[in-house]
Amino acid sequence: MTADERPVSEQSANHPPPGTISRESSRRTFLAIAAAGLALALVPIWIGGSRTLMGVAITGLLFASYAIAFNLIFGSTNQLFLAVGALAGVGAYTSAIISDRLGVPFPLTMVLASGLSMFIGGAFSWIAVRRSLGIIFTGIITLTFSLAFDNLLLGQRGLTGGETGIVVDAGSDTFLRNQIPPYYVFLILVLIYLIGYVLLHRSHIGWAFRALRDDEIAAELTGINVARYRIYAGAIGGGMLGFAGALWAHVEGFISPATFTFVHVDVPALVMLVFGGIGTVLGPVVGAAVFTYLGEVLASYSQLRLIADGILLIVLFLAFPQGVIRALGLRLNQLRASRKAAP
Amino acid sequence: MTAVILDGIVLGLQFGLLGVGLTVVYGIGGVLNLAYGQLAVVAAIVMSITMRSGLATGPAVLAGISAAVAIALLLNFTILKPVYKRDDEDRVLLSLLLTIGVAFIIDGFLVWRYPIEALSLNIDWDPVSILGVRMRAGSLLASAITLLAGGALIFFFRTTTTGKAARSVIQDEVGARLCGVNPAAVRTLIFALSGVLAGLFATTQAMTSPVPISAGFDFTITALLVTVVGGLGSIRGAFLAGLILGVVNAMSSFYIGSYVTTIILLAAAALTIVVRPSGLFGAKA
Repeated sequence: MTADERPVSEQSANHPPPGTISRESSRRTFLAIAAAGLALALVPIWIGGSRTLMGVAITGLLFASYAIAFNLIFGSTNQLFLAVGALAGVGAYTSAIISDRLGVPFPLTMVLASGLSMFIGGAFSWIAVRRSLGIIFTGIITLTFSLAFDNLLLGQRGLTGGETGIVVDAGSDTFLRNQIPPYYVFLILVLIYLIGYVLLHRSHIGWAFRALRDDEIAAELTGINVARYRIYAGAIGGGMLGFAGALWAHVEGFISPATFTFVHVDVPALVMLVFGGIGTVLGPVVGAAVFTYLGEVLASYSQLRLIADGILLIVLFLAFPQGVIRALGLRLNQLRASRKAAP
Repeated sequence: MTAVILDGIVLGLQFGLLGVGLTVVYGIGGVLNLAYGQLAVVAAIVMSITMRSGLATGPAVLAGISAAVAIALLLNFTILKPVYKRDDEDRVLLSLLLTIGVAFIIDGFLVWRYPIEALSLNIDWDPVSILGVRMRAGSLLASAITLLAGGALIFFFRTTTTGKAARSVIQDEVGARLCGVNPAAVRTLIFALSGVLAGLFATTQAMTSPVPISAGFDFTITALLVTVVGGLGSIRGAFLAGLILGVVNAMSSFYIGSYVTTIILLAAAALTIVVRPSGLFGAKA
């Protein structure tokens, strides 16, 4: 999953390697984001009549925002955060509890909550960098946080309602509880995350990300402060996760530990990201869309769902270790190349 | 107090056994098998089903352990093949992702076919007094089996040629190959061994508390924590870490409460990683 694993044909010639965003290609990237946004904006015309289906679509966008944040942390800087659900849960519970208990307006608590997630995300990165933990140890330490957070939610019944969860009142008298508007709110969030992702990767931070992901030691030697950029990625990604989680709490009006567990959030987010393509801009959104749709199609076979997920996971990782977008892009490039060579 | 500590030791020995199965596979194959807990659960469920259909306990335990070994070998020969073509962190990462998929499939199958199956082995011998504490016979038998298995493991890795070859692969795969050791053969052997350990763990667990079909993920996490605290690839470390975590577990769940216990265990593991990334006995970070 590092750059040098990619086939040479993909990296060569007129097409910049994936993940690189040159000025010319960034115009194309923004067009692609706009096209994706437009396509997603039309979804309510299709299913807007059904409250259940709109709920599914909103969850899909929630997972798209999780996957974008995860892409920033894992895809851009090689930090395996297995605490996607926990960081989102920190945001959701913090915002819900502060706004409902203390009567603070919820837009403010959402910002506070994402600040907390940002701090925790940054702290993970700081620890990982300080103790030079590899991918696996970073994964294990964040996984222990996920599990501890889950236990904390279950244990602190007075505050979190334990296993049954809590009803979130803040936001209940706004348009966030209507059928269609929250969809657009989440769509805007996803688009902001995508544009933020691209802008970040166009800036000097993006250059540093690419350098340290491709070769950490070389990056350090060229004067890039690897620690600082890792912490940037962890903190920004953590904040994005916390904000998405908090928004979800106020839209859904109910949160429980099950909404943020490792199995229900981290694993799907990882699958969506890898399916779409780690390090690609639209990969997370494509992955989230495909898996949300598949999940809805397979919903009637709920008993076999876990088995299907497992098989899918294995097949995906064996067949497309670089993601579907890249696999398809690669085919196109090869076609073009062979056509040029033919005459 | 003594009773709590003894309970912790009984539990800790089993944790150690569970951890060893994960750690040897990691040490030798460079593979983190996240479906490891599911192997133990499959063994337990096979034992439970065969016993219900009239098989005696002994043969049923053998059948359960064979099932775990069969799945471990199947993994080694099928989906992990492409994993071995990669190196270092890529290898660990891909193995981790693929075995999560395997864990899902096994869990999904068990939930689908045997939703309420659970294994408990009741040892109805008289309780025995140790240090003035009456210990249940089940706990003692479980500890005895675990100690025997641990002793056998140490004997195997210290004195037999195959065991030494296996340790040489842990230390340096390329070097071992240059000395005529075949890493693939050693890997097969070690995967089978991890299946045996998972099956043994299921057996000893079932003597003290029932093993439900949902326990797989918890077992894997416990094994992972034991492994990380003990040092990846270290057998001694796994047993010591198992003992420490077992006693901590028993003490805090007795004096403080069960959910805080889990958090304390997790915090202990996280702290070990931060303070000493290579674990108590780990050779490499």
